Amino acid sequence: MLPAVIAGLAVVVGIGIIAIFLTSSIDYYCNVDEIGVREGCDDTRRVRVQGTVDEGSLEQRMTTTAFVMSFNGVSLPVEYDGEPGGIFQECIPVVAHGRVVDGVLLATRIEVKHSNEYEAENKERITEAETSACS
Amino acid sequence: MSESMPARGASTLNLRGTSTPATRIIGVLALAVMTWVVVSAFFFTAPDVVQGDSVRIMYAHVPAAWVAYLAFVTTAIASGFSLVRRHRTLGFDRVAGASAEVGVLFMGLALVTGSLWGRLTWGTFWQWDPRLTTTLFLFITYVGYLAVRRIDASPERRAKRSAVLALLAVLEIPLVHFSVVLWRSLHQEASVLNPDGDVRLDGLMLFTLFSGVVAFTLAFVWLVIHRQRLQTLVDLQGTVGLDSALAARATEAVLR
Repeated sequence: MLPAVIAGLAVVVGIGIIAIFLTSSIDYYCNVDEIGVREGCDDTRRVRVQGTVDEGSLEQRMTTTAFVMSFNGVSLPVEYDGEPGGIFQECIPVVAHGRVVDGVLLATRIEVKHSNEYEAENKERITEAETSACS
Repeated sequence: MSESMPARGASTLNLRGTSTPATRIIGVLALAVMTWVVVSAFFFTAPDVVQGDSVRIMYAHVPAAWVAYLAFVTTAIASGFSLVRRHRTLGFDRVAGASAEVGVLFMGLALVTGSLWGRLTWGTFWQWDPRLTTTLFLFITYVGYLAVRRIDASPERRAKRSAVLALLAVLEIPLVHFSVVLWRSLHQEASVLNPDGDVRLDGLMLFTLFSGVVAFTLAFVWLVIHRQRLQTLVDLQGTVGLDSALAARATEAVLR
């Protein structure tokens, strides 16, 4: 029984170490305002950046999708060759994978990060959603 | 080998099968609630205002994940009893094994439905984010647990070895559940059992989800009862087979 208790304690301590000390390595993305600021979010390497697609910023230029994503008052222009999948739209949080070149994130992948709120769709709500958009 | 254990477990069974009136009731209830969930999920609940119809996958994905957690916790509790108790050790071990098997099945279902849902909403089937990675790790751990159970050994040795592993493996569950709070993840936070205590689902959506949890839980109970009874019969068969062989060998020796 004692070896099992020791092994259990070792696992708990291991989990604690992972949870506390490796946070920045395990985090899936950096927020827009952390690029070039937070450790692991250097603008000299490939990054995954999270922000909300700005209202009215979405543009289709030939095969390229361009938009601006923002987080915490900081914005970053994004260019993606292709059409993002999932429920991509304005005012929705996304994670863009790519490199920052001349202040523009050249994305090779876009993922939508939807919220944990679920609301039944009805005419009133669609109108409400369209008028309030990013608010 | 404790011969009385399998025999005692088997004595309560209808030897023509593994069902009893109680399991039939559970089975019928599970089927009835599951039917309601399917009808409500596809015909009564509205699409989500952002996700549209893809939200309907939630009614299978969330209950499957919940039942997998429940199954692995049940495995740990039964394993704890099998280690601590002096009697009915093998009975608890069979419950632990049966629950882990069903848990792996539901965890697999949660991974598949989650992947399909991810493709429709995130735009990708899979990413190595904290929630998805820890969930896969949990799944693989319990596949490993089932593999350990199949290592050739006496039932007592099997019980002890797998119980220790089950008690360690269950510690992964909090890590999986809270991975979306501890780290930044592509996966959304929980809509019901979240740290704020808020429920972020509309009325009928919540009721259908709750019904799904009830239906999957009933199915889990039904499956585990049947599986552990089947294992009892398998163990009994092994014991009876060994006894017969020993008796035949003894008779042969006397005749010579």
